[in-house]
Amino acid sequence: MIPDELRLSPSAKDQLFDLLSRGILGCLLLFALFPIYWMIISSFRTRTEITAADPQLLPIELSEIPLIVQDPVILLEILHYENYVTMWGRFPVLDYFINSLVIAMTTTGFALVVGCLGGYAFSKYRFPGKGAVGGALLGTQMIPGILILLPMYLMFIWIQNNIGFPMVNTYHGIIFVYTTFTVPVAIWMLRGFFDTIPDSVEEAARVDGCSRIQALVRIILPMAAPGIAATGMFVFLVAFNEVLFASILASGDVTPFAIGIQSFETQTTAYWGEMMAASTVATAPILVLFVLFQKPIVEGLTEGSVKQ
Amino acid sequence: MASTTRQFRRRLADVQFGNYLPFYSRLSEEQRFAYKLLAPGLAMMCIIHFLPIIWGTLISFMGVNSTYAQQWHRAPLVGLENYFDVLDPGTVVGSRFWFSIRQTVIFAVGSLVVTYVLGLTAALVLNQQFKGRFVARTLLLLPWVAPVVVTLLIWRMMFQQQSGIINNILLSIGLINEPIYWLIGDNAIWTLVLTHSWTQFPLVMIMLYAGLQGIPEQLYEAASIDGAGRWEKFRYITFPQLKPVSAVVVLLVMLWTMINFTAPYVLLGAQPPRSGQVGILYIYEFAFSNYQFGRGAAMSVVLFIIAMTMAMIYYKYLFDDDFTEGDE
Repeated sequence: MIPDELRLSPSAKDQLFDLLSRGILGCLLLFALFPIYWMIISSFRTRTEITAADPQLLPIELSEIPLIVQDPVILLEILHYENYVTMWGRFPVLDYFINSLVIAMTTTGFALVVGCLGGYAFSKYRFPGKGAVGGALLGTQMIPGILILLPMYLMFIWIQNNIGFPMVNTYHGIIFVYTTFTVPVAIWMLRGFFDTIPDSVEEAARVDGCSRIQALVRIILPMAAPGIAATGMFVFLVAFNEVLFASILASGDVTPFAIGIQSFETQTTAYWGEMMAASTVATAPILVLFVLFQKPIVEGLTEGSVKQ
Repeated sequence: MASTTRQFRRRLADVQFGNYLPFYSRLSEEQRFAYKLLAPGLAMMCIIHFLPIIWGTLISFMGVNSTYAQQWHRAPLVGLENYFDVLDPGTVVGSRFWFSIRQTVIFAVGSLVVTYVLGLTAALVLNQQFKGRFVARTLLLLPWVAPVVVTLLIWRMMFQQQSGIINNILLSIGLINEPIYWLIGDNAIWTLVLTHSWTQFPLVMIMLYAGLQGIPEQLYEAASIDGAGRWEKFRYITFPQLKPVSAVVVLLVMLWTMINFTAPYVLLGAQPPRSGQVGILYIYEFAFSNYQFGRGAAMSVVLFIIAMTMAMIYYKYLFDDDFTEGDE
């Protein structure tokens, strides 16, 4: 039993609870952000600094702060930006970036077109077999990729040998595969966004003389623009991060960033600084875009799970 | 005259559709439009999803190996031989495959527990009123938004035995006496669980957070009048109310982890240790390093069946019952 005088009053309890939850939030934020911080810090370090036995948590020494305040140019000497210069020559990083952008952006374009059509059909129309098609869409997300990759690889080789049309290590091969993988997710997410547009909008457009497809393209799609942007970003990220199919179907001239970045760690040496510099370059625009578009993205993610 | 021709043509078209697609001809104009919109997506899914699955299952019954890599269709049918080979714990392949299945289950269940605990804690903290809540939410989502290949490589760098910051911090605060090998040996599977959970917990957090927002405030008010404390409110209101969302989250995280390839492949690098060889990674190495496509396909089918069975058992015993009970 706790004696009465030692018991906390309700308000003190509240304060303690607040303090505790602030503390937990702080720990979570540290856990979530430290690796990202470490990526940026490491990208400004030389190889000896990174492989040192006692890596410093801060990029600068506290005693250097007054110097930096006096003369910010000195930062260029303390922080080693060389990685950002040398990484382009070490491996064809620029090619990796370009390949990834071509693959991911084309995939996003195709997946959005197909996904908008399908998502609209799902949201606004009732048709026989709707449940089965919806189940199949979700089911595709449960298939282990390796089960598809083996026959896909054999199929691509077969097309190459018998029809003479190159499929392995080409843009169109990998884009086709990625588009199909992302279409079910795109349909599912976009359906949620189309659901928020009232049915009366399409009816009004039809009364004004639009055909069904005109109503969709001219009236509905512009209204769903934020949702389409969010879905697009999601598809882009999936295509950008894909490793399994890319490692087999997209090497050589079309090696994407997700595969190429791993070559910075060779059998003998790891170019961590340059790898982190390239990673920072890849990550920064994505984080900025997310912060700008986060509201529809977050809504699109949570829609399906919570609504039922 | 022209209109008669058009009528005739239309009737001809109806007859043709009626003959070949009786299902389609019975649809209303609106339903046909819906199917036209869906057609491109469905066609692509048939080519990339359903056809290869059937094909892959077929290959699992064939002796496709390096001899037949270029001409798989010439490979002999071997019946269930591939399945017997990979499921027999007496052989090298079989024993390693079963071991990789065990590691897959550890990976999936371990990640699920860590991810769920982290996600729920974060969601509960975010669900309180405080200044900068939106900023905190955005920051906590970043691990999930940053390209996962990049974040896995950061963790790989931090987990290095000699120069990694994690060993350094642990050494300097005295938790360990000598540097730990995180990425090789038996620790690899737990390193994988931790890293994968870091990349996935924001998704769980945001789903549970949305679920928390949907709990009616009156429930808490009523509980306060009855004198319920924080723990009672969580135990008897929050947690039960979150059950539908939790059910979805648990199912998704478990299935997605079981079929996840990126995390073990990137985090554990070119020579993954035995303990980190989860099912899909082992199949990949086995099938592509020496063109054992027949046996690789058999393993993939087994993995798929195991994942589906786990999902179905879960769905039947947890998801289904609780949902119908909760509705009444």
